[in-house]
Amino acid sequence: MITLANVRKIFNQARPNEYTAVDGVSLQLEEHDVTVFKGPSGSGKTTLLSLVGCMARPTSGRIHLLGREITSLPERFLTEIRRKTFGFIFQQFHLIKGISVLDNVMLPAYPCGERLSVLKERALHLLDLFNVSQKAHTRVEWLSGGEAQRVAIARALINGPSIIIADEPTAHLDSMHSHELVEILRGLKNDRKTILIASHDPIIYDSDIVDKVVHLRDGKVDEGDTGPRTRGHLQLLKGR
Amino acid sequence: MIFHPAIIALCVASLFICLMIAYSAYYGIKIVKGWDIKSGSEQQLVLERRTYLISAILTYVFGFYLISLFLYVFTVDRLHIVFTGAMCAAGVLKVNSYGYPTLLLKIMIFIFAGLWLIVNYADNRAYDYPIIKTKYLLLLILTPLVITEMILQAGYFLQMHPNIITSCCGSLFSEGKSSLTSELASLPVVPMEVAFYLSMLLTVYLGISFHRKGEKGYLFSVTVAIAFLISLVSIISFISVYYYELPTHHCPFCILQKEYGYIGYFLYVALLGGAVSGMGVGVLMPFRNIESLTGIIPSTQRKLALIAVVFFLIFTALVTYRIVFSNLVLVS
Ligand SMILES: Nc1ncnc2c1ncn2[C@@H]1O[C@H](COP(=O)(O)OP(=O)(O)OP(=O)(O)O)[C@@H](O)[C@H]1O
Ligand SMILES: [Mg+2]
Repeated sequence: MITLANVRKIFNQARPNEYTAVDGVSLQLEEHDVTVFKGPSGSGKTTLLSLVGCMARPTSGRIHLLGREITSLPERFLTEIRRKTFGFIFQQFHLIKGISVLDNVMLPAYPCGERLSVLKERALHLLDLFNVSQKAHTRVEWLSGGEAQRVAIARALINGPSIIIADEPTAHLDSMHSHELVEILRGLKNDRKTILIASHDPIIYDSDIVDKVVHLRDGKVDEGDTGPRTRGHLQLLKGR
Repeated sequence: MIFHPAIIALCVASLFICLMIAYSAYYGIKIVKGWDIKSGSEQQLVLERRTYLISAILTYVFGFYLISLFLYVFTVDRLHIVFTGAMCAAGVLKVNSYGYPTLLLKIMIFIFAGLWLIVNYADNRAYDYPIIKTKYLLLLILTPLVITEMILQAGYFLQMHPNIITSCCGSLFSEGKSSLTSELASLPVVPMEVAFYLSMLLTVYLGISFHRKGEKGYLFSVTVAIAFLISLVSIISFISVYYYELPTHHCPFCILQKEYGYIGYFLYVALLGGAVSGMGVGVLMPFRNIESLTGIIPSTQRKLALIAVVFFLIFTALVTYRIVFSNLVLVS
């Protein structure tokens, strides 16, 4: 379970351009669920995900992750958590140009000091899973958008994370590739991963894999539009 | 005041140290008063982040402090040519009443700062700042000492007039007078040598057994403290005499000079290093059962015990080598 207690994030505090991006968010997210953060541009989705993913610290408030409080942890422990607990999928993929697809996928595992042959096998297996194994030795700049996204997902999974964080994963994909992404996410959900997605793409938030939609507005949770959303509920809506 | 580059360096560095310690102590007070890890308040989160800066500052400050003790002794020793009557640091420290208190305080802070760094090391390794309040309480005790030391040192250098006639170490550390130093110098040699070797033996034995089994940490630490004091007395009582090969010369400072291959620095580094790491074992004892430290402190203590043993063995080896090969025979 991931619990956020009164989390605030203020950028440029005490300066003229002070901005409250996340404003007193309290939430409980269940393990093994798919949660979508939805809201207009600038509503704080990316900021909130970066707080949960230990990439930034809140200005105030606490976040409990799988029983451990993470906002007070020294940096050394955060590195470890980021590496082992989270797999990140970004809007712009953030693949590293100039090296091969396979190297990109293996990169997050290098600090763990695993045997290279074992690591390579696992990376190739992941690429195979997402149908890009034939591109393993291509440089990433030659990939199409859909391929790049699948490579990015393979990279996010290389350290066997229990939580996947995806920020606007369909922003650079056409609708066919977006549906393909939903199927990949469904597979990850079946593997009992916890999935957090920021998205304003209906293909994502209307999909039947989503357990909960959190609506953000001006850094706050918009209560009126938030609630558990079950598959049954969704099918009822579709049936009408 | 004498304008010597090292004196200016020492005074300016002391001033910086004091400013940085005062800054750290300011946050230390806030931490001791307001720290609450359970709270998610903005103030608490600011303090949590601030501790990294403070910890980094203090590591450098105390790191410098460890050097400053030796720079002070070295500078004072170099100055003996300026003063009529002085032959080494002993006489120069005596030119006014601030010299020896500054040295004593520097040694005390050296040990205290070393122990603080050990506690800080352990605390920084845990995930929940388990001994942060104790750590900053210790810092608040240390702060006035450091400031006093800066003032004493400034007083010492400012009131240093080149025309002062001072006494030489020969008279300061000679037998048969009624001062503390001469009483130390007149201690009987054989019982002192026995006490010295017994304390070293016990230290090494307890240290190795602590390294193996992790038991009797307090006993080991207290033994180290006693062995440290006995060693200091031994330097005046008989160790220096073997180096000078003069049965009446007991000065603990002349061994720092070139004629004796600067051996004094090695002796004192070994002794202080052994004392700090050995006493560090005991300082960590009360915290070893804190949940987030159970995986950290025992291994740190074992390492410290081993380091202390190595330092004391080096010290004993240097001393023994000299006793065996010296042309002077005190005990036949
Ligand atoms: N590092 C920063 N410094 C200053 N302001 C920032 C910073 N990061 C984000 N912001 C501001 O915080 C607000 C929330 O940003 P955030 O990226 O979380 O929005 P978002 O919901 O992800 O938007 P989008 O849907 O466009 O991605 C924005 O107004 C943004 O300008
Ligand atoms: Mg965003």
